Amino acid sequence: MYVVIVGCSPVGYHLTKVLLTAGHEVTVLEKDPIRCQLLWDELGSVVIQGDGTDERDLKSAGTARADVFVAAADLDETNLVACQIAKHVFQVPHTMSTIKDTKNEPLFEILGIDVVVNATHLMVTALEEGVPGRPLLRLMNPRVPELELVSVSLPADSAIIGKRLDELVLPPHSFISLVIKKDRASLPSNEMILESDDEVVAVTSPGEEHNLYEILTGA
Amino acid sequence: MPGSFVAGTCPGAGVIPKVRMDAIIYGCGRLASMLAPYLVQSGYTVTALDSNLSRLKSVAAEPQIKGILIADPMMHDYLQEAHVDIAELFLALSDEELRNVLVSQVAKHIYNVPLVVCRLDNPQLQQLYSGLGLKVVGFSILNLFSEIQQAIRLD
Repeated sequence: MYVVIVGCSPVGYHLTKVLLTAGHEVTVLEKDPIRCQLLWDELGSVVIQGDGTDERDLKSAGTARADVFVAAADLDETNLVACQIAKHVFQVPHTMSTIKDTKNEPLFEILGIDVVVNATHLMVTALEEGVPGRPLLRLMNPRVPELELVSVSLPADSAIIGKRLDELVLPPHSFISLVIKKDRASLPSNEMILESDDEVVAVTSPGEEHNLYEILTGA
Repeated sequence: MPGSFVAGTCPGAGVIPKVRMDAIIYGCGRLASMLAPYLVQSGYTVTALDSNLSRLKSVAAEPQIKGILIADPMMHDYLQEAHVDIAELFLALSDEELRNVLVSQVAKHIYNVPLVVCRLDNPQLQQLYSGLGLKVVGFSILNLFSEIQQAIRLD
């Protein structure tokens, strides 16, 4: 497969190495000449100095015959324009982009960028999970934006400890999909009694996350 | 015939005129400072956005023009503060072409602003984004070319 990558950011750099190891053909366009020089020593001729939003530079990188185009530059606007040129001028069948401003994600999707990786969201989620306490863990970022799959560990002082599952009043569009007791997962049933340290996996909507968390952990 | 009305059959006759017409200018420079008073005169409620305070002040000098100082990571919040969702007109006029492309498409595709004008000087980007439905304005290399041709002939 032939992959063109714009921006030799840490993401672009490591992706290049992974793809080369997997036997793919890769070209990286990097704007900064000094960065290019350094990368040249390591990666060799796969690095080309050029602007990923310039048609001529993209052309000389062979974008016209690319199977996959990845925009991994520092700025969202650079990535958007690079992908749109790849898609509309060079008809690259598969365009991918990293983004930093979380709120730009819907735009990239509307404009037909095939895969949008929200770097900020991934990092914030990972850091949030590392904060001590009983965090609300987001288990994945489903393709359906109205859905959120979360996991909460029940504290001993939660008001719902000792209650039956059917006594819980959950926020709209939320339901419990799995309860993990002492490392054994079971499907929720109406009679199930909730205990301290139970891990509750639930489906909810982004707007109701906080309410759900309060209901599950509130004293 | 398009453009000619007979009294009483004018489309929209009897409809209560819209009280408020919002225009948003993203990027304050010389162009924006000339344009803003003109828009106010034409009946628009104008909001100007820029990340630089002195540039912003040069446009939002009059009390009718609201200025919002922006920081890029919260761009969407500032657009909402400027009521982009009810705006009739959005003009991206900053010096940064790629930024103009991004915010223009946010205005057009996320907030469905009916008329979006995007300033672009790069002829390749002009062609691409005209094709993708933005109203593109900017420096035209073709005009410049013909002007130079004429200038040479005059000499």
